[in-house]
Amino acid sequence: MTRSFIDILIRPGQFFAGLDVERESFTWPLVILLAGGIVAAGYGYLLGGASAQMMSDAMPGLGMVITLASVFGALIGVFIFWLLWTAVVYALSLAFKGEGSFQRTLQVIGYGYLPQVIGSVITLIAAFEYVPRIVVPKITSAMMQDPVLMQQATQSLMRDPAMMELTQITTLISIVFLLWSANIWIFGLQHARKLSARDAALCVGIPVIAYIFYMIYMIGVS
Amino acid sequence: MEKRQLLNFFCLVALIGAVIGTASAYSTPESIVAASKVYVSNVSYGPATFFTGDEGTVIISVTNSNTNDSAVVNHAVFGDQNIRLTSTPFDSTVHIGPLQTQKFVFSVVADAQDGTYYPPFSLTFRDADNLYYRQMLLVENRNLDLTIVDKPDAFVQGKKKTVYLQAANPRDGVVTNAVLEVSGDGITAAPARTYIGQIGPGAKIPVNVSVTPDKETQLSLVLTYDNGNNPHKVTMEVPITFGNDKKQADPVMSNIQVTSVGTTYHVTGDVNNAGLETANTVTVTALSPAVPEDPYKTYVVGALKTDDFGSFEITFTTDGKTTSVPVQVSFKDSDGNLYSSVQNVSVSPVGLNAIKDNGPPLVPIIAALVIVAIFVGGWYFYLRKKKQ
Repeated sequence: MTRSFIDILIRPGQFFAGLDVERESFTWPLVILLAGGIVAAGYGYLLGGASAQMMSDAMPGLGMVITLASVFGALIGVFIFWLLWTAVVYALSLAFKGEGSFQRTLQVIGYGYLPQVIGSVITLIAAFEYVPRIVVPKITSAMMQDPVLMQQATQSLMRDPAMMELTQITTLISIVFLLWSANIWIFGLQHARKLSARDAALCVGIPVIAYIFYMIYMIGVS
Repeated sequence: MEKRQLLNFFCLVALIGAVIGTASAYSTPESIVAASKVYVSNVSYGPATFFTGDEGTVIISVTNSNTNDSAVVNHAVFGDQNIRLTSTPFDSTVHIGPLQTQKFVFSVVADAQDGTYYPPFSLTFRDADNLYYRQMLLVENRNLDLTIVDKPDAFVQGKKKTVYLQAANPRDGVVTNAVLEVSGDGITAAPARTYIGQIGPGAKIPVNVSVTPDKETQLSLVLTYDNGNNPHKVTMEVPITFGNDKKQADPVMSNIQVTSVGTTYHVTGDVNNAGLETANTVTVTALSPAVPEDPYKTYVVGALKTDDFGSFEITFTTDGKTTSVPVQVSFKDSDGNLYSSVQNVSVSPVGLNAIKDNGPPLVPIIAALVIVAIFVGGWYFYLRKKKQ
């Protein structure tokens, strides 16, 4: 049976049909996650650069450390998210007596990450537009001694109009593509854990909706 | 004895003959008439008017208007105690042919004070009496006038200003090789030496000099010139004092607004030119303890004409504890001299005042909720339809 990435995106039920009888392969899920990680690393580089600029006067070399940490954190974070998210979904599926293996769930979640790669590309483009407009506050070595000033400077960065606008845009894009991924995960989980559509929707939907509400909350308080 | 007497006789005859012969070369009625037709046709003095002590020349042209007879001159002399002759008189015989003119040149020096003098010219004919002639000569010690036509109200250190001068000749004679030299301690003049040349009687020549003083000093103006071959000079001292140029451009900042994010400040405002001259390349930047930052480390407003204004915006950071930051406005005048003025701008120590708290952003939140609702609703209807 031949399947394409287009099937994952628009015909996930057809894509995952018969997947449970095939041998578990992580090649394409890892490729998708690596692509997502690379794009996320680019986004992290841009935002990390802003943070590095904020800290550059406080301690020489700290800016480079922050930038590298942002890049590698974003790259590795995708894979950590993959594992954690699979674990959550897998754990919830236990309540519905799911039968498939954890590896199969990992494979399904990995395929379902594809829409978020597309979303990450869009947010990266938005970051290219907005990050140069961010007025980055400077943290001096003197301010490093005062936690209140440090917190205020960080808040100032987060409340920069360009930064706030970028945050809102990326959050909305993330929500849209996360729901797209959730749609794929529901179909995939049905086959990976041998669940009904309703149970799979609950296993995927509960953490997704919770996470989305968390993102909405963060927009509100930022 | 007879021989001796004969010799004496010849000697007597020869002596008588010589006496008679000599007597025939002296004045005769014809030679007197001819001498009366010899006259002074022109007298020229160089220079035309003398300073006391000036040396000069007088050229006297003597014309023989006889058509057939020559005039023989034995002696010619010029001058008196006021206009003293310094060259030797003419003592050799000079023939002036019919209808010819002979020039007699004498060197003289004017010993007299101011006044009009008539030094005599005396000429002795071989075959007639003398010829006397007087020509007026003016001795005046009035110097050239060097005047300042216009100069700046005040000089500014390092700024080039133009001084407008005028050299006038109130004398009756022309002067030559007039040169104006401008100097002074700590002064750069352009040109430092101006060749004016010849100035006729009653003429005036304008001269402009650019002066750049480095300190308060005296500007020395020396006008040298030649009256004939006699050098003279006029000096003038002009005090150079610094002061406020009343016409100078005067950029003033106003409408200043400070916003900040953390310790990064964003200052906007207007620069108005309250002076009477154009302020060129007006720039605005923050000074220490502030540290100018991108995107507007230095804002170039450009040229501001009188009463014109331009907006500016600058960004800088502080150490988080500074309450006042000096903001410098710089501009150049038409000569490229740079001027700066500083105005303090108050900033808050931490600089978080500008953060606006408009409440949660409703539009993205509502949009997110709608998206979630559509997703959940879609799946709800899908599952319900599938169940049926």
